[in-house]
Amino acid sequence: MRITQRLLLAAALGLLVLSGWQAGQGVYMNAKAELAQVLLEDAWEVTKRTGTHVKAWDWADTWPVARISAPRVKGDAIVLAGASGEALAFGPGHLANTPLPGTIGISVIAAHRDTHFEFLKDVEIGDAVHLEAIDGTLHTYIVDDLKVVHADASGIHPHQGGKRLALVTCFPFGTTEQGPLRYVVFASVEEDLI
Amino acid sequence: MAALSHATEHRFFRIAALLPLALVCLVLSLVGARADISFVKPNDMGHGGLLLKGSEPGKYVEAPALATDVDIQVTGPIARTRVTQRFENPSDAWVEGVYVFPLPDNAAVDTLKMVIGDKVIEGEIKPKEEARAIYERARDAGQRASLVEQERPNLFTNSVANIGPGETIIIQIEYQETVRQSNSTFSLRFPMVVAPRYNPQPVIAHTVEFDNNNGWGVVDPVPDRDRIEPPVQHPDEGPTNPVTLTLSLDAGFEIDRIISHHHDVRIERSERNATLTLKEGDVPADRDFELTWTPVAGAEPTAALFRETWNGEDYLLLMVTPPYGEVIATPPTREVIFVIDNSGSMAGESMPQAKESLLKALARLKPSDTFNVIRFDNTHEVLFDTSVRADRENLSIARRFVRALEADGGTEMLPALQAALQDPLNDTSRLRQVIFLTDGAIGNEQQLFEAIVNNAGRSRLFTVGIGSAPNSYFMTRAAEMGRGTFTHIGSEAQVAERMKELFLKLENPAMTDLALVWPDGVEVEAWPTPLPDLYRGEPIVLSAKIAEGAEGRLRLTGKSGGHVWAIDMQISADAPNRVGVSQLWARRKIASLEAARTMGGNWEAFDKEISQVALTHHLVSRLTSLVAVDKTPARPGGEDLTRTDVPLNLPAGWEFDKVFGEPVSAPNIQRANAGAYRTMLAMAPAPMMDANAQATGGIALPQTASDAPTLIAQGIISLALALSLLLVWMLWQHSGAAGLTIGRRR
Repeated sequence: MRITQRLLLAAALGLLVLSGWQAGQGVYMNAKAELAQVLLEDAWEVTKRTGTHVKAWDWADTWPVARISAPRVKGDAIVLAGASGEALAFGPGHLANTPLPGTIGISVIAAHRDTHFEFLKDVEIGDAVHLEAIDGTLHTYIVDDLKVVHADASGIHPHQGGKRLALVTCFPFGTTEQGPLRYVVFASVEEDLI
Repeated sequence: MAALSHATEHRFFRIAALLPLALVCLVLSLVGARADISFVKPNDMGHGGLLLKGSEPGKYVEAPALATDVDIQVTGPIARTRVTQRFENPSDAWVEGVYVFPLPDNAAVDTLKMVIGDKVIEGEIKPKEEARAIYERARDAGQRASLVEQERPNLFTNSVANIGPGETIIIQIEYQETVRQSNSTFSLRFPMVVAPRYNPQPVIAHTVEFDNNNGWGVVDPVPDRDRIEPPVQHPDEGPTNPVTLTLSLDAGFEIDRIISHHHDVRIERSERNATLTLKEGDVPADRDFELTWTPVAGAEPTAALFRETWNGEDYLLLMVTPPYGEVIATPPTREVIFVIDNSGSMAGESMPQAKESLLKALARLKPSDTFNVIRFDNTHEVLFDTSVRADRENLSIARRFVRALEADGGTEMLPALQAALQDPLNDTSRLRQVIFLTDGAIGNEQQLFEAIVNNAGRSRLFTVGIGSAPNSYFMTRAAEMGRGTFTHIGSEAQVAERMKELFLKLENPAMTDLALVWPDGVEVEAWPTPLPDLYRGEPIVLSAKIAEGAEGRLRLTGKSGGHVWAIDMQISADAPNRVGVSQLWARRKIASLEAARTMGGNWEAFDKEISQVALTHHLVSRLTSLVAVDKTPARPGGEDLTRTDVPLNLPAGWEFDKVFGEPVSAPNIQRANAGAYRTMLAMAPAPMMDANAQATGGIALPQTASDAPTLIAQGIISLALALSLLLVWMLWQHSGAAGLTIGRRR
């Protein structure tokens, strides 16, 4: 009886520790995502001023390349170079094989659906997306398409069409599944639409 | 009292014990509530078929194909296919049809013919937007028109406007492709499953969103949005969708065996040629036609040369097949430099895959080979001072080095690449191979390309792309420039198979240092440039444009197993003439330009040149389409091109409203607007797509779901479990103490 009780207690305490670790990890990942954006602010300011690649911290494998915001849904994030898992932990990543944000072609920016690009689910056609490019210039894009695509067949051919943005995140929202679907918000630069 | 309280406690105990279980079930069911989604991508359209437009924008139904005739001519590495299909509009309305046909990646569609009644209308090549405008004008004017567009390099659509009620139209499309070769087996496949409706298995209707205007394709994740029954064939159609097929084969070498894998064929053959027809005359279109043929093993390379005079210029097609037998006998000794990327971007699954690939490669080295290992992040480290013998001791040092690698830091690829290409030993008795394992997450491609071009020397660069989204443009192009190959490893499961293919190439380099000496004074534009090495199982296929009537002796030289060989070929004006040689040249030029274009630079200039080549050579491309218009108006004014006029007398099993939607007062003509999607009535099992086909469906997107929510959810479950157990424990403690007291009282 005693031994069973002790085992039960031990199991309970063990689980308590496990739960702390799991939740802690999850919260840590989210906190890291938030915190990184704060650290990136400074790096981004220096980037714009100097026009050079500035790493927010020494061991970073990436650097800021743009800032995007969607005022209506209160979305705002500093975009990093590359879409490796490491970059995406800290901010939206610009896919290296697509044109730079603010240039001709389709610039693809991806981010996690539960952090930096959570706001994408509220974005609607006609919304304005502001982009601050690496040279400090401001561009306004208007959302003109919302699509769900398969990650392996995105249909995005980056070197076609006018000046566009494709903001990519996982789909469906609100699940924990790491599935093959991606939600893509397309936006065209305002001057092209007039 | 005591007993009662004890019983209550027991019930409480049981409920408390159930609590965590119930919680787990609840949370698991939430987590596990995944939609079982299967997809049809446009690329999955494993067969051709006519889709008839319905009234609601973008809804389609597949029209029955009555009969198909296929005529394939194989000339060396070129296969030219003419597909003639007779379609019937089964409805009593005027409809617009969209015919979707998948083709191999390198297929060039150059001919469209539309036969309506006794009229033949030939398609003209136009810039894409212009072609679409011509088509739409004709359609709106009630004229019959047809438009062939490239949606992806391997997927084409043909739109046909104003097909009359009960009318039969014939569509003839011709395309060219290169024959596939794997080791010494040549193969050709014709997708024949044109009638999925004969497929009795349970079918889920998939929806594909697809916009003709800008080439966007979208997969609709809702599998049952238009769940529809597979239609039953019309009784008048007869029991099958008959296909007749004729194939003439001019292999370019002595043929050993010819095998038709799925159909009985009648073969008439000579040494290098064969003619095939289907034994039964016509067969049900329920299996793809697949043919393979193998050459007789020869000691010397065999070469074939074809010529075409077109538009005042001559085009050549040269094919060389290496002598496989001899090469296997004398495997070359090698100096292998492995470069492995351990930067932060390789973190996660990529790093173990890269390590496993490298360890496998180390295991393949022979004691006579030499090797070295370089790792890089924002720093780089060369394991041995110079390349060392692959003996047991050195290999074990290397293995330890590789196993200890961890992904961290930045990506500074250039110094590592330069270190790998340095060739201080210059031991020309060995084949120098650089194997580069990376995800290519870099931004300074141009700098790296320059380094390869300037420093590669005799080294061959083999890139191995690791992970689900490697920078494949960079790696393909780098391998091309470094005269090696690109291997993509997308998942753990592919490591063994893909690396084995690579090892075959690495250990059996049949021919190196290929060079062409053209006759004096002959101006040449040849593709590919530079000539690649020939690896085991690969033929070299060269396309060239020369002045009309140019003649002379062409010499192809190379090294094979340490021996220098040369082949002299007399290029005479009366070399075997083959239609399509010029188009193959143009297709390869377009492919090269498209590849160069993706590398950045002035892509408007590239577009102009691509468009120019495609227009000149009558090829459908990303920028050009074929359009045919019958000037005579067909559809009387006032009759609509919509479903609203279609009476619901469809074959049994066709649930019309599910296909076409509720009648709506739609405008006269429906267009393929953005957001349009096609409903396939039924899909044949989707064919396996190769990596190339996937790559053409737009760029691959990265994983954008972190496991943070999962972790938090798991944390909550664990917490709930822990609390429940604690509760149970406390109750237990309490009840135990109570029991004890009761016992004492007694």
